[in-house]
Amino acid sequence: MPPVTWLHRPCKAIPACIARSSGGFVAAVLMLILGIGVQAQAADLPRVASINVCTDQLLLTLADPAQIVGLSPYARDAARSWAAAEARTYRRLSGEAEDLLTLKPDVVVAALYMKRATRELLKRQGMRVAEFDIARSIDDVKEQIRRMGDLVRHPDRAEAQVARLDAAIARARQAVARKRYRVLALSRRGWVSGDDSITSALLSITGLSNAAAGLGSQSSGFATLEAIVADRPDFILISDGRDVAEDEGSALLLHPALEKLYPPSRRLVIPEDLTVCGGPMLSEALDRLVAELKRVGG
Amino acid sequence: MQDIAARRRAVVTVALCAGVAVLTLVSLGVGPVKLSPVAVLEALFGGGSEVQRIIVQDIRLPRAILGLAIGAILGLSGAALQGLLRNPLASPSLFGAPQAAAFGAVLVIALGGIDVRSFMLPVAAITAAFVSVFVLLAIAGRNASLLILILAGLAISSLAGAATSLTMNLSRNPFAALEIAFWLLGSLEDRSFRHVALALPFIVAGAAILMSRRHAFRALSLGEESARSLGVDVGRLRLWAILGVALGVGGAVAVAGAIGFIGLVAPHLMRPLIGYDPARLMVPSALTGAALLLAADVAVRLIPSTSDIKVGVLTALIGVPFFLYLIVRERRALGGGLA
Repeated sequence: MPPVTWLHRPCKAIPACIARSSGGFVAAVLMLILGIGVQAQAADLPRVASINVCTDQLLLTLADPAQIVGLSPYARDAARSWAAAEARTYRRLSGEAEDLLTLKPDVVVAALYMKRATRELLKRQGMRVAEFDIARSIDDVKEQIRRMGDLVRHPDRAEAQVARLDAAIARARQAVARKRYRVLALSRRGWVSGDDSITSALLSITGLSNAAAGLGSQSSGFATLEAIVADRPDFILISDGRDVAEDEGSALLLHPALEKLYPPSRRLVIPEDLTVCGGPMLSEALDRLVAELKRVGG
Repeated sequence: MQDIAARRRAVVTVALCAGVAVLTLVSLGVGPVKLSPVAVLEALFGGGSEVQRIIVQDIRLPRAILGLAIGAILGLSGAALQGLLRNPLASPSLFGAPQAAAFGAVLVIALGGIDVRSFMLPVAAITAAFVSVFVLLAIAGRNASLLILILAGLAISSLAGAATSLTMNLSRNPFAALEIAFWLLGSLEDRSFRHVALALPFIVAGAAILMSRRHAFRALSLGEESARSLGVDVGRLRLWAILGVALGVGGAVAVAGAIGFIGLVAPHLMRPLIGYDPARLMVPSALTGAALLLAADVAVRLIPSTSDIKVGVLTALIGVPFFLYLIVRERRALGGGLA
């Protein structure tokens, strides 16, 4: 990382900054000159570790690199982690309690619905654990961005991200679909995103309706192939447009019954890393959804 | 006497064929979307609405065909192995063959870059099934006691099951848990004609090999010496039997996962009706296996549940108590093995 970029991102300790820099000597001199003031500011900022792929994304977007103690193992999964490339430069945590206890971050951010035993153990050890629930609406997402912003003490960055998201929403509302098409967001093994999901929120912003309701379920859940075919939504929204089934779960989406009714012109494709979490990537997801609607002529 | 026995065999076989035909139709008629029998028949022969045709022809028909074919090859493999070893507790699943085949398939998937609908999958499953049965028979030796066969089979199936789980866990697939359940418990849900095309050639080849050896199995039932005097090469017969079982079981597992116990139960159900001749037992065992799996797969769809029940769970629920009953019945032989 060149020195110029990290100068405005204060490091917590001078040796750590030197170690991080590739410019070695120049960096060290610069740090000696500027260091004292920066360090005083940086020492106040909390160091944060994340053990969930969604909190990883929020942390990477909002915190200074030096604030990030480590990220969850899935942070590097290019298929599901939006900031996978960036995540590679940080420590890969096991996601369990041991390394966190030795690294002693000021805060551990985790999902509310996973790794309960780990979270409780950390709390018993006196660690501060901030839990983030699944974001189910755009409001949830904004709230989570702001909460993480406060947590890493960069509320200004959080507001900028919220504004970016609002701008994307405004863009998508203008490019609204010609008709209120029924779209079924379908994942592996027939998992359907219900009304209480981010995907559903994205659909309604672009003037589409979630077809999950037609399958007799308001909330997310598994739908059978037969029920999908019988209900026959206008489009299906999937995360992978390729004709490759990596495992039996994803083979379902390439079942001939679905391929007959849903050729590529009836499939909206948004990569999984844009929809799996609620976070700053949603503005990209919205742009992508609008582009896909254009592609299929909706 | 001969005449009465032959007539009974014919009646049993015809009844089984009728039963399999009825169960196939029931399998086409049952599903999450309610269709009347008339609508199902119409859709099957190209009538009805497009949605009805897709449901019956593309979703239910491949499932029924696979249930029939896989059940049949498992029943046939059980009968063949029981004939080969002259041993009523022999069957592919007790020997760990399906579990080994599942491991072969999962290994290929985990190595990555392979579509699960490619022929690499059955080839890997067949290879692994062949190795497992070969190793088991090598360990058990020529005149294996029941006990040795069961113990060695248990060891191989546990090892293969653990290896399957571990391979999935080590792969980068974050949905490993669900995939492991599929491979270890088996399922016919949402299969397609691509799966039929993937499995059927191997199942048919395996069945042909096993059927072509049926007279050798009969000769073997008189004892190895007598069989030899009748011109049976016992060593080659073993290899052919292993190959036939591996082709059939491997092909089946590659598309449906490890479905157990059909091969154990089917021949036993037929023995009181057909008699103890291994050659005559084979076709009725195959039909019984087909009927059992079709029925289990219909039941899986009828039992109300929040998530799909794996068909292998049901066959094990039927098969394991049956296995225990057989052990009780064979207690003397097993006890003899201990002493």
